[in-house]
Amino acid sequence: MRRVLLTLAAVAFAGLLAAGALVGGMYDISATDQHLAPTYWAVDTASRQSVKLRARGIAAPPLDDAARIERGLALYRDHCVQCHGAPGVAPEPFALGMTPSAASLVHTARTWTAGEVYWTVRNGFKMTGMPAWEFRLTEDELWDVVAFVMAMPAIAPVEYKRRAAAAPAPQRRPEPARPADARRGKVAIQQYACPICHEIPGIVGANKPVGPPLDGWSRRGVIAGILPNNPANLERWLREPQAISPESAMPDLGVTERDARDIAAYLSTLR
Amino acid sequence: MRVAAAIAALSLLAACERPAPAAGDRENGRLLLRQFGCGQCHRIPGVADAESDIGPSLARVGERAYLGGVLPNSPANLAAWIRDPQRFDPRTTMPNLGVTEAHARDMAAYLQEAK
Repeated sequence: MRRVLLTLAAVAFAGLLAAGALVGGMYDISATDQHLAPTYWAVDTASRQSVKLRARGIAAPPLDDAARIERGLALYRDHCVQCHGAPGVAPEPFALGMTPSAASLVHTARTWTAGEVYWTVRNGFKMTGMPAWEFRLTEDELWDVVAFVMAMPAIAPVEYKRRAAAAPAPQRRPEPARPADARRGKVAIQQYACPICHEIPGIVGANKPVGPPLDGWSRRGVIAGILPNNPANLERWLREPQAISPESAMPDLGVTERDARDIAAYLSTLR
Repeated sequence: MRVAAAIAALSLLAACERPAPAAGDRENGRLLLRQFGCGQCHRIPGVADAESDIGPSLARVGERAYLGGVLPNSPANLAAWIRDPQRFDPRTTMPNLGVTEAHARDMAAYLQEAK
């Protein structure tokens, strides 16, 4: 009994020390302070295993279609090369100093399945700069990128440069209309980084009072002091704030129609 | 307290420019926010009946980065916004209530601290 109590006291003391170190600012947050080898191993293993588990059962469409790979190459050139690089192409300077640095995907397809690449591109990686591309690309475009990533190990640097220079800018293909989905809207709010400026119930984040808090949104009468508050107007405001208030500090975040509808649906649940 | 309210109401009726301390009188500001009916559209902590959700809540408005989404927040800008919102956003539904400079300064002083 006494031993149990002593052990508990020791654990509590260690916890207090750790909390004190955190609150006291002892953890070095600088990007020049590299992770300890065990930390790196733990993070790397946890993320790899997490992807493997979650990507089970994802069925890939045919990915060896040359046109699909070319579309994927153009999307990769426009959205991915900045952090990940490409055959013979370095990431942008800002990405080189990231901790952790983004993976070189030239090698990925040798050890990852298409489903695992798809899952990662779609959902992103927490605590890294990798966003969830579900909110930036359509389902079809996600698979285009996967097709290119899976083809990349066979593409020589000179060939990549030639094809990247030649590939036309990807044409946006419209997605089928879907009914408003408040649960997806809650995720989209995080993905458009709304909580860096607004306090929003149910969303963990900085919640800085740059703009007004959005609690009790469904009761709010007016949007931005201008538009009567209803889901259709909120959708308009989210997509093109400057079209409604040219003076507004609320930026145009490039919110898609589907995401705006889902975000409006979530905010309408706040009473 | 009751005397102060009476004085505030009287000064409002007279609509005169009353000399005010530079920083604004918080308690007078609280009374003025009630007198001008700000609570018809806003929630304002400490102001009776100010529980409307037409416009945004003014709780902790002093910590906000922008006023009306358009004007960098400062005590002086808050007073200027209260006096003439259309000057900063011609489309805003916030009405110009004909608030004097001294009254706006008092309201801004109260709102700076409203939690």
